[in-house]
Amino acid sequence: MSDRSVHASDGSPWKSIEQLAHGSQDTGEFAQEAEMAPLHENSVTRRSFMALVSASMALTAAACRRPETKLVPTVKSVQTVTPGMPLEYASVFANRNVAYGVLVKSREGRPVHIKGNNLHPSNRGASSPEMIASLLSLYDPDRIRRARVNRGQVSFDGAVTKIAEHIAEAQASGKRAVVLVDEHCSPSYSALQTAITAAIPAISFVTMPAIVNDNVAIANQQSYGVNGEIVPDLSKAKVIVCVDADPLGADKLSLYHTVRFAQSRTPSKDNPTMSKLFVAEAQYSLTGANADERVRLHPSQIEAFLGILSGGSSAGATTETTAAAQRASAALKAAGAEGVVVAGRHLSPRAQMMAASINKASGSAAVSASNVVPNSHEKWSAIATLQEDMLAGNVHVLITADVNPEYSASREFKAALAKVKNRAAINLHEDETARQCGISIPAAHWLESWGDAVTMDGTLSLQQPLIAPLNDGIPSVQDTLIALVNKVSAGFLGETATYADYVKSRWTGSKADWTLALQNGVVASVGAQPLTGTVAAQSNSTSTTQSNGTGAAQTNATTTAQTNGAGSMASAAIPSGMVLMTVPAHHLYDGRQANNGWLQELPDGVTKITWDNVALISPKTAVDLGLAPGLGAKEIIKANEQIITVTTAHGGIDLPVYVQVGMADNVIVTQLGYGRTQGGKVLQGVGSNAFNVAAPGHAVQYVAAKIEKQAGRHKIATTQNHHTLDDGNGQRTVARWISLDDVKDGNFKSLTDHFPGNLQEGYKQKPLSITPEYTYKGHRWGMVIDMSSCTGCSSCISACQSENNIPVVGKDQVMKGREMHWIRLDRYYVGDMTNPATIVEPMLCQHCENAPCENVCPVAATTHSPEGLNEMTYNRCVGTRYCSNNCPYKVRRFNFLNYNTETRSPLELAFNPDVTVRMRGVMEKCTFCVQRLHEAKWKARDDGRQRINDGEAITACQEACPAGAIIFGDANDPKSKISEAKQNDRGFRVLAELNVRPAVTYLAKVQNTASHTTTNHS
Amino acid sequence: MSVVHEHQDRSTSGYVPIREPLVLGNPTMRDITARIGSIVESKISAKYLLTLAFTASMAAWGLFALYYTVATGIGVWGLNNPVGWGWDITNFVFWIGIGHAGTLISAILFLFRQKWRTAINRSAEAMTIFAVICALMMVLTHTGRPWLFYWLMPFPNQMQMWINFRSPLAWDVFAVNTYFAVSALFWFVGLIPDLATLRNYVRGPIAKKIYSILSLGWTGSTRHWHHYEIAYLILAGISTPLVLSVHSVVSFDFTVGIMPGWHTTIFPPYFVAGAIFSGFAMVMTLMLIAREVLDLKQFITLKHLDNMNKIILATGMMVGYAYAMEFFIAWYSGNPWESWIFVNRAFGDYAWAYWTMVTCNVVSPQVYWFKKLRRHIPLMFVISIFVNIGMWFERFTIIVTSLHHDFLPASWGYYSPTWVEISIFIGTFGIFLTLFLLFAKFVPVIAIAEVKAIMPGAQPAHHHAHAAPVLTEKGQHA
Repeated sequence: MSDRSVHASDGSPWKSIEQLAHGSQDTGEFAQEAEMAPLHENSVTRRSFMALVSASMALTAAACRRPETKLVPTVKSVQTVTPGMPLEYASVFANRNVAYGVLVKSREGRPVHIKGNNLHPSNRGASSPEMIASLLSLYDPDRIRRARVNRGQVSFDGAVTKIAEHIAEAQASGKRAVVLVDEHCSPSYSALQTAITAAIPAISFVTMPAIVNDNVAIANQQSYGVNGEIVPDLSKAKVIVCVDADPLGADKLSLYHTVRFAQSRTPSKDNPTMSKLFVAEAQYSLTGANADERVRLHPSQIEAFLGILSGGSSAGATTETTAAAQRASAALKAAGAEGVVVAGRHLSPRAQMMAASINKASGSAAVSASNVVPNSHEKWSAIATLQEDMLAGNVHVLITADVNPEYSASREFKAALAKVKNRAAINLHEDETARQCGISIPAAHWLESWGDAVTMDGTLSLQQPLIAPLNDGIPSVQDTLIALVNKVSAGFLGETATYADYVKSRWTGSKADWTLALQNGVVASVGAQPLTGTVAAQSNSTSTTQSNGTGAAQTNATTTAQTNGAGSMASAAIPSGMVLMTVPAHHLYDGRQANNGWLQELPDGVTKITWDNVALISPKTAVDLGLAPGLGAKEIIKANEQIITVTTAHGGIDLPVYVQVGMADNVIVTQLGYGRTQGGKVLQGVGSNAFNVAAPGHAVQYVAAKIEKQAGRHKIATTQNHHTLDDGNGQRTVARWISLDDVKDGNFKSLTDHFPGNLQEGYKQKPLSITPEYTYKGHRWGMVIDMSSCTGCSSCISACQSENNIPVVGKDQVMKGREMHWIRLDRYYVGDMTNPATIVEPMLCQHCENAPCENVCPVAATTHSPEGLNEMTYNRCVGTRYCSNNCPYKVRRFNFLNYNTETRSPLELAFNPDVTVRMRGVMEKCTFCVQRLHEAKWKARDDGRQRINDGEAITACQEACPAGAIIFGDANDPKSKISEAKQNDRGFRVLAELNVRPAVTYLAKVQNTASHTTTNHS
Repeated sequence: MSVVHEHQDRSTSGYVPIREPLVLGNPTMRDITARIGSIVESKISAKYLLTLAFTASMAAWGLFALYYTVATGIGVWGLNNPVGWGWDITNFVFWIGIGHAGTLISAILFLFRQKWRTAINRSAEAMTIFAVICALMMVLTHTGRPWLFYWLMPFPNQMQMWINFRSPLAWDVFAVNTYFAVSALFWFVGLIPDLATLRNYVRGPIAKKIYSILSLGWTGSTRHWHHYEIAYLILAGISTPLVLSVHSVVSFDFTVGIMPGWHTTIFPPYFVAGAIFSGFAMVMTLMLIAREVLDLKQFITLKHLDNMNKIILATGMMVGYAYAMEFFIAWYSGNPWESWIFVNRAFGDYAWAYWTMVTCNVVSPQVYWFKKLRRHIPLMFVISIFVNIGMWFERFTIIVTSLHHDFLPASWGYYSPTWVEISIFIGTFGIFLTLFLLFAKFVPVIAIAEVKAIMPGAQPAHHHAHAAPVLTEKGQHA
């Protein structure tokens, strides 16, 4: 037991996490906080002593310090730790430069679950897979624990001193000391960077994210005078035209967009309005999957398409492009200010400007020039300068702070990097870059560090640590930088300065406001911005993007003029032949969290591929390349898993082929973020590095490519195989959709149409039964899933995985069909293989009233609760798998092997202590988060209530869903949301004809199309 | 048949029977005893030992695979999410089916006084028991946590848990255990007079001791025979419904489920017919070998084989009828799930399994319409193997094709076995054959007493006029 856990148990107050981390006695204002909220107000009782002792022992045994509780105020009124009771702390998760508010659930001082903060405007309580899964990265056993100089382990201080010496040398020789940082949205970090550069001019900061998209900033500078990315608000648009943009899919803004997009996707008979999403794209993105109308465009057609859209000539456009563009154009015109064009970030500046001009001309309400992503200014010039300086030998020392250029940068940049003699890396993992660096310093996870973040609209959030660094004494990147600068220039912030102090020192508001800000996680008002300074980091030593304005939007107003020249943007030269398009991976994005099993195993929203990046090609391209013998569904599948070498001007990689219906022909799409080689065990051997064939970060991501077929096959692990293309499942009406006109006309009949005919009078009617009905006297839990607002973002899967201790099984097991996710997103295509539409049907245990799984279990391990839950008793299960065989929805998951007990320490700390960890041989499935229902019940009981109020019991998937597509509640409560939702005309039950009486009602997807739905295809 | 006596006049061997004789060569009672007893008494040959070593190593390999499974988890098999049962339950149903011929021959044919059964009933019954042992092994180890197998029994326990009597798997436990218990008892009761014969026949003191313990003090007194006859009759009566019930209950595993392709009312009779079909085929395979190796042509005559082939033909036709009727009902019901699954069976991913099944089970026995072919030994050996293969594939088709593509296309999958499952299946054959080899060596393979009873002149009511029964001085038949 460490001495610190004694602190916690003997009641003597320790003051702050910083004190523990650095042994500092001077904690400034935090000391008062400590007195305000002592750990234990009462003397320790025998029981709590025993609880703490045993918890400490358990955690010590787990080779990990006992995590400490922080003396920071909590969201809930409970201020002290009660063993067994979770606490929620507000913080902020910055997905690069996009900030999302989070609430972190903490059990006995260790974070166990991350969810969205309702008060935060970006995500409004929803969460994204990256956000949720970053919890697992906190406990990643592959994180580095010790600083390293060359091959020897050194103390943190030793490593910092070494770097400081190099900086001093740089100062003396007049060379540059450069810190490469990722894009971020922290005003304090920006200010710190400015302060450091001011203190030691030799040090400059260069922002170099893995994926650089300068084109947006360049175009916006021209169109709006804003050097940054302007984010449209999709909730304000009735017609959305996405041109090779994927705002709902692989995008750091996807959570922001999904929250807003979903708002106008659920028409009812009384209010039959919804937005129309028009997508023109080369790939088949998740946004395309949600499109009401979708057109396939070869990348060379994109600018022509935009040209027609903006009322220009149709020169160079094919007839198909022209027709589609004219339809979109007409829709946009009709919508007027309620239309918006969203251009893909990777499109040429010219294309961006065309889109902007359309939005400007229509006065699009969705576009507000002040809604700019922080730190999204043009970055390439600084990077290019750095590259030249490095080549010229002008950079004496290069510090890579949480960036990985050795993995993601171009060949030229890597060659320049090699010229830098003294390199240091500050990172969580010993990644590709750290391996190349003489000095490597471990960094703290965001859940272990202080910070802040600002959003597009200027909302500020504070990032507070939830746990002391798991590996003793590891400071955050910023702390390391401060320590470093203090070494070089002693008078910088003071010997014992921490980044926490720094963030705090920039707070101009009152202490009470600070406390409130920590409690809420957000500082709502833009006008009363309490932190001075803004977010943009200096892009290089010469530019001055720093301002003292109050909002992020003003950040870029003073940026220097572009070098490209105004007005006449050159048309991007996109080859018309075979084109390679590299896109960020849906969940891994640029690969920073590649060592995260939750994200690796989360199926791609469209392809359902896990653990791999592949070469996606259209069926026709597969035939043209000689990979498939014909266009028939069974022939096309033969192209899958064949290996091709894709060669571009930048390099070549081998990729397995996967035929993706609906893609443009002559296009290969592959995902970035895979093919990492260093930085952990999970990422080993997963995919190929597509950065090697991509154009350098700032360029248009369409590259001419040559394909060469290789011998052999590479197995691809999909969670849903290609059977959905063939085998006559066209007659299956399992995922239903109707058109907007059907909704307008109240034509919902097609939803209740099934075999046998006696249910045609509506899904609410129950079939005859010879046994008396069971009456649910208390609660009766049920769920409604709106397939119309669901976009397939997959947040629910991650949230469920985190909440319910669902194991990661690995690629081999996924290939065998043994993935364990309790909720899956079934994807069904509608229409022909050339350009099908997609229906996403979330599928989880339906908690059937007449459950076929229950009566076949010989040991009664799965039974029905009096509240309508289909319960699974893990202890009792002997594992006959009969229940799973007999489940028509196939939502039960069997532990074929000991997936969970082989967890590497300290990953087990990520387990939710409320949920049993299952051993092998046991069946499991969705429980409707029964542990949360119990928690809500205890709360109700404590309040002296008999029943849980509507909205008190929230399932993890519901909580995470950015689209609000999942409604859970008590169907016995006539006033509950779910009771209302169950009356929705669009409601149907999957496989209702089986009379299993599922507790989950689905609301049919509505496509904003004019025609009436005659047949349902799935 | 309680009293068996020697034929008075051995010179009557020249008479031409109206019916084909059940035992050839017109042996004396002593000849029969000596013929069967000598199998037990003769020295163990190297050939026998080699064969035994081979089958025992098959068994050992299978047991190792089983150990590996239990130690590591069911994950070492090829099962996956849609397909929760594969070779494990296929093998279970297969072995249970094999066991059916034994009971049918012992019980039903006994009640119907089919005398030709005597030559084969002993080994068929032994086969039943060994097959049920294999089946029990499969069903016990197919679970995720086999060490908790006893939770499937209703017994009072501190967990206050009771089994779920609504589950067909619980019914299975009773059905299979009852079947095993009754079959074993039936077999053993039938063995007692023969064990006593062996006790008297063998010379080795240890063997003599063992046989005397096993023969439970049988003296062959009229009283013994009287009780024996009643007991045997009662057991035959108890066994008879079991022939129908066990496989009906096994079929409930599927019919009670709601999977298309499982949820079919035709299953109970269809399964029973199939079980008898496969059981007879297995008896045929083993008998043809035993007949050759142990030189039992005298007792297992072409007439026996002919009769068995007739049953194979009849049950094969029943099975074929069931296959056709499944398709008809799938179409006639108008149930789209049902009709889809049957089309998928015949033309989907597992079409090869389906057509193997149809070829082996329906097409191949058609040759038995011709008497000449019914008595063609190499042919019937091949057909019996075919039927075994076909019946294994029948179970595989029912279980796997129904599961791999069920209701929601998004959850479809494909199943193929791993080396572990294949090894376990080979292992069950190893166990089965090892037990059978041991049986063939140490237990009278032919029911001596019963064969003697069907010898001409054995019965008081025989067509020959007889003098009073003659007993040997020891009260034992010669």
